[in-house]
Amino acid sequence: MTTLPIEERIVHMIAQLTPVRPAEIQMQHRLREDLGLDSVCSMELLSMLAEQMDLDVPIEEAMGITTVGEAVAMARRHLAARGA
Amino acid sequence: MSALVLGAGGFLGLNLVDALIAAGEAPRCGRRRRSNVLALRQRRAALVPADLDIPEELAAAMTGCATVFHAAGHYPRLSRDRQRTMQTGLAQLGNVLDAAAGAGVRRLIYVSSTATVAPAPGRPSDERDVFAAAPGLGVYHDLKWAMESLALAEDRIEVIVACPGACLGPHDLRLGTSAVLVALARGLDPPHPDGVINPVDVRDVATALLRLAEHASPPRRVLLAAGNLRLHELLVALARRYGVAPPSRPLEDAEAVSLADAEEARAEAGGRRPSLSREIVDLVIHGVPLDAGLAARALGMRWRPLTETLDAADGWARRMRLIPERPFTQAAEP
Repeated sequence: MTTLPIEERIVHMIAQLTPVRPAEIQMQHRLREDLGLDSVCSMELLSMLAEQMDLDVPIEEAMGITTVGEAVAMARRHLAARGA
Repeated sequence: MSALVLGAGGFLGLNLVDALIAAGEAPRCGRRRRSNVLALRQRRAALVPADLDIPEELAAAMTGCATVFHAAGHYPRLSRDRQRTMQTGLAQLGNVLDAAAGAGVRRLIYVSSTATVAPAPGRPSDERDVFAAAPGLGVYHDLKWAMESLALAEDRIEVIVACPGACLGPHDLRLGTSAVLVALARGLDPPHPDGVINPVDVRDVATALLRLAEHASPPRRVLLAAGNLRLHELLVALARRYGVAPPSRPLEDAEAVSLADAEEARAEAGGRRPSLSREIVDLVIHGVPLDAGLAARALGMRWRPLTETLDAADGWARRMRLIPERPFTQAAEP
């Protein structure tokens, strides 16, 4: 899974937390309203993302993420910042 | 001190980890597979798997630890299934106690609840006041009483019981007690019961737990509360603080129970989180004034004033964008 693009990795993580099938998950989907992740599950998702990609994500930043695309952008930002 | 914190990623747990780190300790932080560990990663804390339903994980996590802080006692989000709630809470605590005994832990600090404190006629309740049997005031009260009884009956290791009141302060990510503060700051008018609550700064609770771990001969059971006031009184003060309309009159006890039961039934059927939960109603309407003098005498605790606690909770909630960035009028508070 670690060789997959970031988008696919996040989609797989979301699929572990919701009954939504990976093929149905789109970048513009809102974590809460469209995918049914409550605030606790959303934070679990971002925590899972940080652990799997070894990112140091401030909780303040994670709290501001509302869509799948924003989570992808956040991951890219942190990977770029550490020169990955 | 070689210490393990169970529930390290939670509200009290994070504050306890901060207190331990500030004291020069490097605690192990227990986590479940799906725990939110962002804040712990930022603290460079050592994370260890410690699912309370998996005895082998608990045993491995406790190996070599002299002290275990158990701040992960089962907290039922709904009071709908008494049998399952009791089974889960007691089985998980049993797993923790068995693992601690097996690992040779010297002292376990168990975080209980003021729900276990019985009323004392004519005076504030203190550490002597324990229900002789399950209080029968709701699932939450009965669960906490049963769990505390199990913890106090433990004779293989030393177990110390701490009963914190309504914790307020930073890092309440799941919006437990802080939900009222956030609701008022957003200009909402949450339906609420009324009764005595015992607010306490979560950072002071963390300090008290640390002192219980370090104390040569700590009290077996200690209440942690900074004061006593009525919930409606706190909501009125918060409304003044945020410059919003004062809260509506409190619900009568029966009204509050009925509303919470209906909200929990809706939540169980797949709706959003209940706007009023049964355990909060039960805690408030059956709340009793507390005398936390033992914590002051035995542990040297000096409680932060409520205004300082509310300032800290407010600052954290703003950083987390839980309440809007706008000025508020600070007025006199209890």
